[in-house]
Amino acid sequence: MGKSWLRAYILKRLLYAVIIAWGILTVTFVLVRVGPSSPADRYLANMTASGQDVSQIVEAIEARYGLDKPMHEQYIEYMGNLFQGKLGWSFSNSMPVIDLIKTHWIYSFQLILLSSIFAALLGVVVGIYSAVKQYTKTDYIATFFSFVGISLPNFWLGVMLILVFSVKLGLFKTYYDTGLPLFSLDNLKALVLPVMTLGTGMLAGYVRYTRSAMLDNLRKGFVTTARAKGLPERTVIGKHVFRNALLPLVTIVMFDLGSIVFGGAYLTEIVFGIPGLGQISFNAIFANDYPVVVAVTLIGTSIVLLVNLVTDVAYTYLDPRIRYD
Amino acid sequence: MTRRLRDIARKVGRPLYVNRRLVNYYWERTRRNKLAVVGLAFILFLILLGAVGPFFTLDPTLVDFEQKNLPPVGFTTLKSVYDIETDELATSEVRGIWTHPLGTDSKGRDMLAMIVSGARVSLLVGLIASGIAIVLGTIVGVLSAYLGGWADNVMMRFTDIMMTFPFFLLLVLIVFIFGPRLVFIVLAIGLTGWTGTARLVRSESLSLRTREFVMAARAMGASDGRIIFRHLVPNVVSLIIVIATLSIPGVILAEAALSFIGLGDPTVASWGIILEAGQHSLDTAWWVAVEPGIMLFLTVLAFNFLGDGLRDAFDPKSNI
Repeated sequence: MGKSWLRAYILKRLLYAVIIAWGILTVTFVLVRVGPSSPADRYLANMTASGQDVSQIVEAIEARYGLDKPMHEQYIEYMGNLFQGKLGWSFSNSMPVIDLIKTHWIYSFQLILLSSIFAALLGVVVGIYSAVKQYTKTDYIATFFSFVGISLPNFWLGVMLILVFSVKLGLFKTYYDTGLPLFSLDNLKALVLPVMTLGTGMLAGYVRYTRSAMLDNLRKGFVTTARAKGLPERTVIGKHVFRNALLPLVTIVMFDLGSIVFGGAYLTEIVFGIPGLGQISFNAIFANDYPVVVAVTLIGTSIVLLVNLVTDVAYTYLDPRIRYD
Repeated sequence: MTRRLRDIARKVGRPLYVNRRLVNYYWERTRRNKLAVVGLAFILFLILLGAVGPFFTLDPTLVDFEQKNLPPVGFTTLKSVYDIETDELATSEVRGIWTHPLGTDSKGRDMLAMIVSGARVSLLVGLIASGIAIVLGTIVGVLSAYLGGWADNVMMRFTDIMMTFPFFLLLVLIVFIFGPRLVFIVLAIGLTGWTGTARLVRSESLSLRTREFVMAARAMGASDGRIIFRHLVPNVVSLIIVIATLSIPGVILAEAALSFIGLGDPTVASWGIILEAGQHSLDTAWWVAVEPGIMLFLTVLAFNFLGDGLRDAFDPKSNI
């Protein structure tokens, strides 16, 4: 392939990603640990209820989990463990963080995956159509609705969907049912409202991005050439314009991923009571359960950093002119 | 002819805030976009509502359990009252009344008054927090571009880290730690939201830095401070106006989202706080969740319309 520089570039980016991830984790650790309460508080509530001595319990628990050591020692120990792949112990759930994540990641994953598929497929189709028919009534309607879509607060949309479809019409349950088998029609049905909640904003964004990326390319010389050659319009749009529009489109879509994982999905999980990673890290913040908060932050950040890297590398194959030095 | 050209050149080179002709030109271009004008009109209406509205409405904190869960005018709901005499649930129809045109919540507070005072909160949060973010972003961006070298490198790498940081999670953490006070919420949003501005301002300033008028200023012995504040900053004003307009809705939504998950300031009736309370009474009083949401939606939509129009007017090719 003659892309010898690519290996060096990937290594550089990976190193860079590790540094960024470390920075983010440190800030998260510090923020959670300077919080107003100790992770031991959760135990405390249970044990004082059974009439035991408070101060003794706190000391015992803090010694047991190393919480009595100075903050910097805790930090070094925690980061050391993290480096070896040990995510630690969840105080509020009384189980290893890794087990907690193993049982909950799938709920976030299915929500984000289904919403992305829904939004990307529909968004790209509508966006292309809107660009090809620029300044027609269809285009105006599509543009208007994409404005509506990006302006709808997604948590409010979720509440409204529950109000109309669950409370008034009784078509869906108001809460996500975790007892359903993963690959079942019932589970899919339970995800309809959450996917609409998360997917609408994404869909609107994709329509806008696709439309503008298509318009950027529609008036280029090579399009005129392709038409002049007598190629059918389908081929011109599909092969010549869309392929060139794909690159900027992918950039923006990948750039948005972080805000979707941490913003939209997070709120959607809370509205519908889906026990995904967003929900557990949210509960963990309130319980001061820093191993869970840091672990979920680590997962989310790693996904975002990795996806960015993969996108940048993929560019060099999509467009061989691109070089990073 | 030459005089005219020189005249034009002088005017074009002048920054936006002293150049009336340019301002008029941009205004004409923005005005052609009808949605932008509608957006601007709604925002002005909202500012007026927030500024003088509270003087005309009832007290938004006035609790009246006699009048609780009244629907908006034109709507009816069913209300079940337990009758201790007959030991039965008596169901009666309740109509909205003009004393409370938008209805009341579960504590009998007037929804109209709460929505109006919420407008004030949301606008203040939006303006102040994005103000902080934009000032910070502009400082970082201009300095980064002007200084170059290691200073640029350090600032931009820091910006990268901040950009990768899960924004909403960071907000939740900060607000949880410092407590749900409106001041902290505004500060948290402002202090974390400057990264996009920094990047855009930096790339704009990088190109400005090499332009003739900056070189001329330097040749005439202008100090760094003078070049930055008299030549670079004024010339990124148009960019900043667009970024501000497009970032305010994000800020308003962030505050609402925080309130929605229970991290809002409980002493202030922001739209997010009302909405949060409303989602728990969907079956008895749907309007409590619907009304603040509609206002939130319309406000965000208005800013997006205006921002889009302004961007097209300033620079039709840009992709902010």
